[in-house]
Amino acid sequence: MPIYPPTLPPAPDLAHGQPPALVLARFDLARLWRQKIGRFFGFAFLMLLLWKVARIYVDHLLQTNQTFKPMQEFAKTILTQGADFQADLLNPASYLLWFLVALVGGGLVARDTLYRVRPLMYAHPVAPRDYLLAKLGFASALPFAILLPFALLPWLMSLILAGASGPVWVTAPLRLLPAMAISSALMGSLAVGASSMAATPRAGIGWVLGLVLGAATLASMIHGLTGIPTVQAINPILLAETWPQLFLGVDHPLMGWAPALLGTAFHLGLWTFVAAKRTMPSEAVI
Amino acid sequence: MIAFENLEVRYSAMAAPALKGLTLTLDRGIVGLLGPNGAGKSTLLKALLGLLQPSGGGGTVLGVPLGASEAAKLRSRIGYMPEYDALIEDASAYEQVAFWGELSGLAPESARDRAHEVLYFVGLDEARYRPVSGYSTGMRQRVKLAQALVHSPELIFLDEPTNGLDPDGRRRMLDLVLRVHAELGTGVILASHLLGDVERVADQLVILDQGQIKAAGSMAGLRKALARRVELRFLDPLDAVQEAALAELGAVLEARNGLYDLELTEADPVAAFRWAEAKGATLVQLTPRHDRLDEVLLRALHGAPTAARGGA
Repeated sequence: MPIYPPTLPPAPDLAHGQPPALVLARFDLARLWRQKIGRFFGFAFLMLLLWKVARIYVDHLLQTNQTFKPMQEFAKTILTQGADFQADLLNPASYLLWFLVALVGGGLVARDTLYRVRPLMYAHPVAPRDYLLAKLGFASALPFAILLPFALLPWLMSLILAGASGPVWVTAPLRLLPAMAISSALMGSLAVGASSMAATPRAGIGWVLGLVLGAATLASMIHGLTGIPTVQAINPILLAETWPQLFLGVDHPLMGWAPALLGTAFHLGLWTFVAAKRTMPSEAVI
Repeated sequence: MIAFENLEVRYSAMAAPALKGLTLTLDRGIVGLLGPNGAGKSTLLKALLGLLQPSGGGGTVLGVPLGASEAAKLRSRIGYMPEYDALIEDASAYEQVAFWGELSGLAPESARDRAHEVLYFVGLDEARYRPVSGYSTGMRQRVKLAQALVHSPELIFLDEPTNGLDPDGRRRMLDLVLRVHAELGTGVILASHLLGDVERVADQLVILDQGQIKAAGSMAGLRKALARRVELRFLDPLDAVQEAALAELGAVLEARNGLYDLELTEADPVAAFRWAEAKGATLVQLTPRHDRLDEVLLRALHGAPTAARGGA
């Protein structure tokens, strides 16, 4: 055990610290990692990495071992697929992703409310915008990071196996990444807004699931009653699925650019506003 | 350290002021802030931290104007220990003190080193690696003090630091407060309803009630003023002229059955005997009254004359 001085020496210079929003987001990431759900994500990412390495090794075998020559010939016959196939690359993860966003994002603000640490944060050099930026950034970065392998790994394997004539377009990531960014921001803002209304992390999970499923149900009911398809723009699940379709130019997307833009802007604006109001210093009781 | 003049704070434009025309200057030291619930102590701390904009008047904290754009910078020079349990329950003391250090502007590695030092200073050794959810009340209070000290602030606000502590824990916490000021040179504002705590550590006192300063002054001055409180007993009841002339000796606080409580103008109590001789009265007993601080507080809150009114 180290020997400490009998009294407290002066602290080092305060000018070398990181921006408060980054410190807050890093702490949330460390907390996620400590929790079982954080370990689950870590395991899932590790599996994806192993899968990637294994596929590269299989490709190496295809190139070097004559036994696999017929498989190599077959891979070369795979033709480039259409826009629907490209957009569908993200779909297998979408429903699972909403659930994970609810599990993690639901507690982001609610946990600080439960532990009553937010007023103490504002007693430090942390502005409300730093706090909001950290929470929104973390809640949006999480689904983006999970979607990233779904967009990049098939593209990479396609390039390795069949080059430019593979099933995944060479330019697919350029279209998928902005779509993922918008969908992730939508998920993040909704999670943070819902979490800010909850007093406990569990209640936060309930709020996120309730808002997502409630908006989806409401949209379906109004659509069924009125027959107007654009009303589905209030359904955040459909919005998240629509953006890859729009960026990749699918023939018949779930909705057009205008409803998707309006619906996404509505959700982003509303939930960011709610989160900002609910995390104001005036809410802080010190 | 802190100065404000006619400071007024409102929570909204339509609301009544929570702080009304406060004028005060506080020197670097340990300041006891006393007052009942709703007196305005928390509002004053919020204003001093720059979380509330003054609606009137103004002032400075550590030379920085209140409500100024550099309020965030000011907060890196101030430490705050809240009254309530503002602890991150799923983190260890070490993790959260390092986190608060980083939020105050320390680099990550410096914050981790500093967390060890400051937790050692407040008396948390190996326990610092355990989640705080398993800590006793005394340990939790010390973690809260550690997070307030992690960035070497020039001034710390301690809100009820001995809340929930047993007598030994209370003594150790107050010893720490004294060490913080004596060894680190940190100014301390101690808000408490436990008058014994304030009496033990503070060298200045501010009594707030209904958003106004009821009394303020140095503890030394207060004690000196308290020493001038006497009870006089005369052989025969004083007549009306003699009673009126008692004002020459000092403020009459209470008169009952030939006994008079006075706050003498002069420090020398023999003056009372001289006065009695001059007025033809026979003073048979002069008893010094050693008021406790709680009596001063009660007098201040109920509007009776106060020993140290009107500025430090």
